[in-house]
Amino acid sequence: MNRFSHVAFLPIAVLAACLLSVGCGKTPSASYRLNMVEATKQRLTPDQERQVATVLLAMFGTPDNPVVLPETGLDEAKLRLASGPVRSDIVGRKNGLYREHCAHCHGVTGDGMGPTAAFLNPYPRDYRPGVFKFKSTERADKPTHADMLRILRNGIAGTSMPSFALLSEPKIDALAEYVKYLSIRGETELALMRAYFELDDDAKGILPETREFLVDETLTPVAEKWKSAPAAQIVVPDMPADIDLAESIAKGRELFYGDKANCVKCHGVTGLGDGQANDYDDWNKAIVEINKEVKSGLAKTGETSTSGMSAEDAAEHRQQVAWLGKFSDVIDGDALKPRTIPPRNLRVGIYRGGRRPLDLYYRIHAGINGAPMPAAKGTVPPEDIWHIVNYIRSLPYEFDGELGADKPMVARDRF
Amino acid sequence: MGSRLGGIFWSLIFLAVPVLGVATFAVAPSYNIWLPKNVSEHGPSIDSLFMFILALTGVVFVVTEVLLFWFLWKYDAAKAKGPATYIHGSHTLEVVWTIIPAATLLFLAIYQMNTWADVKMRRPAMSPTVEVVARQFEWRLRYPGRDNMLGTRDDLFLTNDLHLPVDEDILIQLKSMDVLHSFFLPNFRIKQDAVPGMKIPVWFKATETGAFDIVCAELCGWGHYKMKGRVTIESRADFDRWLEETYARQEATQPASEDITASAAD
Amino acid sequence: MSTVTASTLSQGTATTLPPARKPRPVAEFLSTYVFSKDHKVIGLQFLFSTLLWFLIGGLLALAVRWQIAWPWSDVPVLGKLFAQQGGQMSPEFYTMLFTMHASVMIFLVIIPILAGAFGNFLIPLMIGADDMAFPTLNMLSYWFMWPAFLLFGASFFVEGGAASGGWTSYPPLSTNMNSSPGMGMGQTLWLLGLTMVGISSMLGSVNYLTTIILMRAPGMTMFRLPMTIWAMFITAILQAFALPVLTAAGFMQLSDRMLGTGFFSPEGNIVNNALTGSGGGQPLLWQHLFWFYSHPAVYIMILPAMGMVSDILTTFARKPLFGYRPMVYSIAGIAGLGFIVWGHHMFMSGMNPALGVTFMVSTMMIALPSAVKTFNWLGTVWGGRIQFTTSMLFALSFVSMFIIGGLSGIFMAATPVDIFIHDTYFIVAHFHYVLFAGTAMGVWAAIYFWFPKMFGRTMNEFWGKVHFFLTFIFLNGTFFTMHILGAVGFPRRLADAYHYETFHHLQPLNAFMTWCAIGMVATQVIFASNFFWSMFFGPIAGRNPWNSNTLEWTAPSPPGHGNFDFQPVVHRGPYEYSVPGADKDHLMQTDPPNALAAAAAAAAH
Repeated sequence: MNRFSHVAFLPIAVLAACLLSVGCGKTPSASYRLNMVEATKQRLTPDQERQVATVLLAMFGTPDNPVVLPETGLDEAKLRLASGPVRSDIVGRKNGLYREHCAHCHGVTGDGMGPTAAFLNPYPRDYRPGVFKFKSTERADKPTHADMLRILRNGIAGTSMPSFALLSEPKIDALAEYVKYLSIRGETELALMRAYFELDDDAKGILPETREFLVDETLTPVAEKWKSAPAAQIVVPDMPADIDLAESIAKGRELFYGDKANCVKCHGVTGLGDGQANDYDDWNKAIVEINKEVKSGLAKTGETSTSGMSAEDAAEHRQQVAWLGKFSDVIDGDALKPRTIPPRNLRVGIYRGGRRPLDLYYRIHAGINGAPMPAAKGTVPPEDIWHIVNYIRSLPYEFDGELGADKPMVARDRF
Repeated sequence: MGSRLGGIFWSLIFLAVPVLGVATFAVAPSYNIWLPKNVSEHGPSIDSLFMFILALTGVVFVVTEVLLFWFLWKYDAAKAKGPATYIHGSHTLEVVWTIIPAATLLFLAIYQMNTWADVKMRRPAMSPTVEVVARQFEWRLRYPGRDNMLGTRDDLFLTNDLHLPVDEDILIQLKSMDVLHSFFLPNFRIKQDAVPGMKIPVWFKATETGAFDIVCAELCGWGHYKMKGRVTIESRADFDRWLEETYARQEATQPASEDITASAAD
Repeated sequence: MSTVTASTLSQGTATTLPPARKPRPVAEFLSTYVFSKDHKVIGLQFLFSTLLWFLIGGLLALAVRWQIAWPWSDVPVLGKLFAQQGGQMSPEFYTMLFTMHASVMIFLVIIPILAGAFGNFLIPLMIGADDMAFPTLNMLSYWFMWPAFLLFGASFFVEGGAASGGWTSYPPLSTNMNSSPGMGMGQTLWLLGLTMVGISSMLGSVNYLTTIILMRAPGMTMFRLPMTIWAMFITAILQAFALPVLTAAGFMQLSDRMLGTGFFSPEGNIVNNALTGSGGGQPLLWQHLFWFYSHPAVYIMILPAMGMVSDILTTFARKPLFGYRPMVYSIAGIAGLGFIVWGHHMFMSGMNPALGVTFMVSTMMIALPSAVKTFNWLGTVWGGRIQFTTSMLFALSFVSMFIIGGLSGIFMAATPVDIFIHDTYFIVAHFHYVLFAGTAMGVWAAIYFWFPKMFGRTMNEFWGKVHFFLTFIFLNGTFFTMHILGAVGFPRRLADAYHYETFHHLQPLNAFMTWCAIGMVATQVIFASNFFWSMFFGPIAGRNPWNSNTLEWTAPSPPGHGNFDFQPVVHRGPYEYSVPGADKDHLMQTDPPNALAAAAAAAAH
């Protein structure tokens, strides 16, 4: 044994230890991401982006430490429960619910762009526009708190949104509250970004940082829409009692194929959802339209040459090209690839917003906010909507007896 | 060539293996790190098989490891005098330690066939109590409804919240909608992979009421860890009542009262 | 490096000098060190490459352990990838981590290090040949690993990340591009990498079989071969027969993914709201094909270590191997039975339960030859004169740990018990005991043992023992408690198990295990330092520093091209230690027949 070799190991071991410790710094805390698509669309300067971020920080706080202004109408205790990092080593920890259950799909910012999002079909919801699909209120209104709880408890069948029924009630409540918080924050962010366009020249491109402007004029209208949701709840008449089920189904079928409701245009004459296949929901449509604008803009500016232009025009042209390039990058890096929304296949018996007759009534009456499904309210009288509901519910079983309930893996039997 | 102290030290390290090994298994149950509570009828036979094999392998483990320690202690070159024993083997020993383990292992295999058949081969003649369809990442349940037939209009559809009656034979029809999953009920000693394209029967009888976990036990994608379900065992009366109530909620044509009062209080 | 061979010696001194050649340094460097056809260089190339991947696989394991111990907490180093979430990893990242940990360890570390590094280095030396039968094929077998390295490595950087369907890659999860992130390009690259490893192994196995059968030195009968060679021989047979099935299955899965065939997808299969392939297939088919290879694979991953451990134990116990022929028959028995037990991985899979009965019987029986081997190892140690060198300590720990791994297998063979422990940590404990506490310890024993032969210097004994001690303590801390975790039913592959009532009290134990795992990986710094330091500055070793009997110890350390500076002729078996009446305590295989010792040997029996 070589005595020297004992000693020689020390520097090697020390070096190795140093190398190991390099990676051991803590990652900075989670942070909200700015809505770059909107910021670029509104042509905000970096200073303006910074101002928006600062204002939002003051008004809403961070993912670890939310700020809850009373005007939002949100419950601070619930938000504390939902926010913050997950600490599984702490027994009985009192927060981190959103990060534990939701953030990897919906994103820490609630932008529907968590790490897993790009691989899901359909994409997870982006809360920031404040549009929600499956609720009991009229089309353009926000969901009620009970609607949010229902979605959390039941999940959304046929998508990656799971049921959280096995969480305790306080936890589900906290999560629903946090989603509203993220949505209010997102809509406020949009409103702030759009406000730059309205500024007059004296403001020099800076938003007034007064409570009056920020809270009363920007935040409160957003929060009010949430508070007024219960008033917009659809009043549902009773199902017509004087007609038997078979007759109701027959009437529903007529309406389904008729001109008033015109369901077959999208859901297809077979009810398999093959009527059309190239429409988008609002979130994807926004990206598609921006894509079109950017592409055509790039094509046009590509053709135009700056020779023969005045210095001012040439500078404007260059700015336009730069902006188009930036927008193109943002779309590639900060938005999910757009997907069409297929109309629902009504023969499988999977209903995303819930399978109660009541849920189907809501969908037909108010349509689906954010999706191409139109509202039948006004064109179809309420009892007729019930007939359509009964017809829809019979569709998975329409060929019972002919194809047989025992035939394996019939579409409906795939559940 | 090393000191006697070294030999003692290393022999004791190897002695630590059986000592700490047995200690771990002996101490674990007092920390509740042991077989979870069993509430199924066939569970005890599986648990007793586990314990039997544990005892058998435990004995072999202790004997072989202690022998290893003893040989290291005794035949340390720094301690034992003279040359090593020049021997190429013992025919007798080879026969003995081939026949005895072979017989034991064969016995073990045959001894367990009955329990296996009970759990996996002898399906009770009954129609399914519930159909469980595994899906990324939830358990979709379908009860046959009053007509006791799956696939008709009165089926009850649920997610993750399985209710079953106590003290009755239960037959589950297990399917998968997309990829492989596995229906694992730790407290019932039940596990069966859910294979898309196959309808696999799973049967057991619950002996106690309570709420227990349903765990997915076959990697099914990123959400494998959150495929948590709950099975609630209750009396037949409670079970029937729950079925009625849940079905009524499923067929609701008016919002539930809590859905209206909650929003008014908002 | 000596270039004298038996043929030049027998011709007497050379009378004509070969014509002078123009020096071509780059080409010569490449053909000597890079594209070498010398089995020893190839063996070392395998050794260095696999040790590097061992480090990568170990780091992946640490990331897995971190998440298990502290789910959703800020991960060191990797947390930077999830800065938006404050360092919390995403669930699909976790599935990728354990998939790649297992894939790297199995396909890029254990299989190539046993057959590729040690098989290559030792086979010609131990049988008295000057090189392998097919040196060019041998060189190719190493270089086919490089596409595998690059494919696996690249898969970490593609969209969706590396494969995340488990190393078992069960369809329909794995045949669907959109069933999970990582099942896109990552899974395809994984399948291609696997094919490359398969080709490398198949080339190697053909070489080893031919060499062992045809190129043994005079006097080296099959039953005078050291156990290392018997193990390599039978491992090569296993590889040759089992690998084609995996390769075919891999192609079928690739075809399902890229060409829309439906070998493994049932009709109308819809995953993540996308219709998959043509259907008409069976997910279970993959499981049968995969496990038909992968069960023999686990024996491929342990038999060479068993062989090497036998050679090391005899050397440091100064005693013949107890029961040489039973040991050989046991290896053959393990290999043979290994082909008819694959269904024990599929007891819960939905295959006909009647098969559960047949596979239970064959699986129980395969414990028998392993038990026989264990008893024979104990018999080897009994009555010896044990030298506690580092290599011996690792070899002894192989025996001790293999007992645990083997016995835990009996629980799984018991089909009703498997209902409960399948896909739990009981299984994880079992295979980590046989593969890590078993094979990896055997590999370290072999490295410390044959290092002098490879590099001409010995490794430092003191630091070797420190390495052994710490590794032994930490590995048992990490893996033994997995048995009781499995008894609770703690499932495998869960990114967060604590939200289940059954498991939520297990977090502290898992934290303890993770600390042990971190200690275990940190300890390997000592090994790495020792390894590289000793290669350049260790004490010079002679031809036979351990006074061992087998043929490689008659060659120079390290051997030159052609290995031996004389023609080895074998006169006895490999384990003639402490022969009564002999003048030293070991009689090498090449030592001339000694009448006195032979008589004494005959008398002793």
